[in-house]
Amino acid sequence: MSSPDTTLQKPVLPPPVIEQGALGWAHANLFSNRFNTTLTVISLAILGIVLWSSLRWLAFESDWTVIATLSGRLIMGPYNTESACPGQDCFWRPQAALLLVTMLLGMGWGIAGGGLTKRYAIGVVAVLAAFSLLPYGLDEMGMDVRLLLLANIPALALGWFLARHTGLGTARWLAILAVGTFVVTLVLLRGVEGIPGMQPVSVNHWGGLMLNLLLAVAGITLSFPLGVGLALGRRSRLPVVKLLCVLFIEIFRGVPLITLLFMSQTLVPLAFPKDFPVNSLMRAGIVITLFSAAYMAENIRGGLQALHRGQTEAAQSLGLKTWQSTMFITLPQAIRNVIPAIVGQFIALFKDTTLVFIIGMQDILTYSRAFIQGNPEFIASAQELFIFLALVFWIFTYSMSHISRRIEEHLGVGRR
Amino acid sequence: MYEDQGDTTDDIIVCEDLHKWFGSFHVLRGITTSVRRGEKVVILGPSGSGKSTFIRTINRLEEHQRGTIVVDGVELSNDVRNVDTIRREVGMVFQQFNLFPHLTVMQNITLAPQKVRKWPKARAEEIANELLERVGIPEQAGKFPGQLSGGQQQRVAIARALAMQPKIMLFDEPTSALDPEMINEVLDVMRELAHSGMTMLIVSHEIGFAREVADRIMMFDEGLVIEEGTAEEFFTNPKHERAQEFLSKILA
Repeated sequence: MSSPDTTLQKPVLPPPVIEQGALGWAHANLFSNRFNTTLTVISLAILGIVLWSSLRWLAFESDWTVIATLSGRLIMGPYNTESACPGQDCFWRPQAALLLVTMLLGMGWGIAGGGLTKRYAIGVVAVLAAFSLLPYGLDEMGMDVRLLLLANIPALALGWFLARHTGLGTARWLAILAVGTFVVTLVLLRGVEGIPGMQPVSVNHWGGLMLNLLLAVAGITLSFPLGVGLALGRRSRLPVVKLLCVLFIEIFRGVPLITLLFMSQTLVPLAFPKDFPVNSLMRAGIVITLFSAAYMAENIRGGLQALHRGQTEAAQSLGLKTWQSTMFITLPQAIRNVIPAIVGQFIALFKDTTLVFIIGMQDILTYSRAFIQGNPEFIASAQELFIFLALVFWIFTYSMSHISRRIEEHLGVGRR
Repeated sequence: MYEDQGDTTDDIIVCEDLHKWFGSFHVLRGITTSVRRGEKVVILGPSGSGKSTFIRTINRLEEHQRGTIVVDGVELSNDVRNVDTIRREVGMVFQQFNLFPHLTVMQNITLAPQKVRKWPKARAEEIANELLERVGIPEQAGKFPGQLSGGQQQRVAIARALAMQPKIMLFDEPTSALDPEMINEVLDVMRELAHSGMTMLIVSHEIGFAREVADRIMMFDEGLVIEEGTAEEFFTNPKHERAQEFLSKILA
C-alpha cells in the first residue's frame, strides 16, 4: 500500500480522449487496407445505384392517385358498398366510431396532461387531417372522406375538454369509456334491426384497416389476461389445472395460425350452443386471441421464472396469501421484465390479422389486392399501394414498440 | 408497543423432536427446544448445519416432516389458517434483504399492513414513518430499494417486518451480505430492537453482537443442537468438542 504522501502526489486524471472524428472513423473502419477499400467502394456504388433509381421513381414516375381513390375503402373495406348496405349510406357509422376513438385520445391527453400521450394524440389527428388535404380531385377522394378525416380535430378537442372540465378526467373513467367505445363501435358497425339508418351489416362486409384494428384491439386486450392466467396455471401445484394449461399452450403454439383459422370454420362453432350464431369475425377473433394467449403465457412464465425465490419468501413471511403475493409482488415484476417480448407478441398479432383472408374476410391487405386485381387500370399502381400499406403497418407497429420503450423507461426497468 | 395478547404461557415457541429432510439429506435430526417471550436466541454453527432451515421452519418457509412446532399457542400444521395466523405474528429478515424492487421503500413497508392487517393507508404510512425514523432512514421513504446501500436496504427490510407488529422476529444471517462498514448500522438497529423486549431468533456469525445481546446461544452441527447455554458459558467454557473447534476457528 502506498503512503499518504505519494497518494497525494498522484494527480486525478481525466479519462483518455479517443481521437476519432468522422474521417478518423472512416479511415479506421472503411479504408484500413486495400481489401477494405475495395469493399467500401463497391458497396457505395451499389448503394448509390439503388438510392438513385428509388428516388427517381419516387420523384418522377410514381403515381399515388390510387391511395386517394381507395381512401375510404382502405379504412373500411367493402362496408359501405351497395351489397353491404343496400339503399343506404352507412358511411357515417364507422365514421362515428373513429370520432369516438379520437375523443378517447383527447381524453387521454387531458388526463396525462402532456408527454407521450399528448404527442401521440396530436400526431394521430394531424396525420388524419393531412390526408384530408391530399391534392386530388373530389372524384378521386370524396368530400365525405375528407370531412370525416378533418372532424377528428374537434373530436380530439372535445375529449380534451371533457377530461379537463368535467368529472370524467380520471384514468378509471377513461378505462370504462374505452370499453364502452369498443362495445358502441361493434353495435354501430353491426347495426340494429328496425332502427332507421342502422340496418344490420353482415360482418362479412366489415373490412379494411378497421377490421385489422378491431381484431388487434380485441386480441391484445383479451389474450393478455388469458395468457397471464395460463402462465399461472402452468405453474400451479394442482395437477389437473397444470395439465390443462400445458395442453392448451402446446397445442395452440404447435399449430400454424393459418391452420387454426381454417379449422375455426368447423371447430369454433362446436364450442357454442347449436343455434348460437358464430360469425366469421368472432371465429377470427377467438382463434387469434387463443393463439396469441399461448405465446403470451410462455413469455410471462419466463418472466416469473427469472424472479428470485426470495421475493415469494419475503411475501409469505409478511403473511401475504398466495394470490396476493402473485398479484402484488411476482406478477408485476415478471410482466415488467418481459415487456419487450410481450410487445413483440402484440406486434406479431397485429400483423397476423392480415391472415383473415383465409376465412374470406377483407382486411386492408386483402381488399387492396382484390381491388388491384379487379381494376386493371390500376395494375400499374400496385407498387404505390403496397408501399403505402407497408408504411401504414410500420407506423402502427413502430408506435407500439416506441410506446413500450417509453413505458419501460417510465417503470425504470433495467435500472431498479 | 409489543405487549403480549395471545397465549399467556411463558414459552412463545415450542419445538418438539423436529425433523426435516431435503430429499434423502437429513437436515434437521430432532430439535427440541423452546423460546421464552422476549428471549434473544443467537444460533451459531457451521454452514450446512441446519440453523437457517431451523428458523425457516418456524414461519413455514420450510415444512417440517416430523415433530411439532407451536408458535404463540398455535400449532404449525397443514392447516393454511394456522400458517397464516403464525406468519402474521412472525417477522423475518433475510440475508439477501429480499425487498420488493418494483415498490418504493414506503410501499415495501405498507403493503402487508394494508393487505393483511387491513389497515387504512394513512395509518400504515404513519407507522411506516415511525419505523423509518426508528431505523434511522426517514428521508429514504420515496426511493426504490435499488437506490439504497446494502445497510440501508437491510434496515428497510427490518422496518418492513416490524410494520406487521410481530411478536417474534427471525433473522437469517442479516449481516452476511453486507460490506464490513455497513454491518454496524444494521446491528445497532437490532440492538435497539432487542432492548425493546422483542423475542428474537438470530442466525449470525457476529460473535461480539451475540455476546452482547443473546440470552442464550444455540450451537447447531449436522442437524442437531450440540450445545446450548448463556453467552457467558458458551464463549468462555464451551463443553462440546465441536463447539470448541468452531469457536477457535471463528475467533482466530
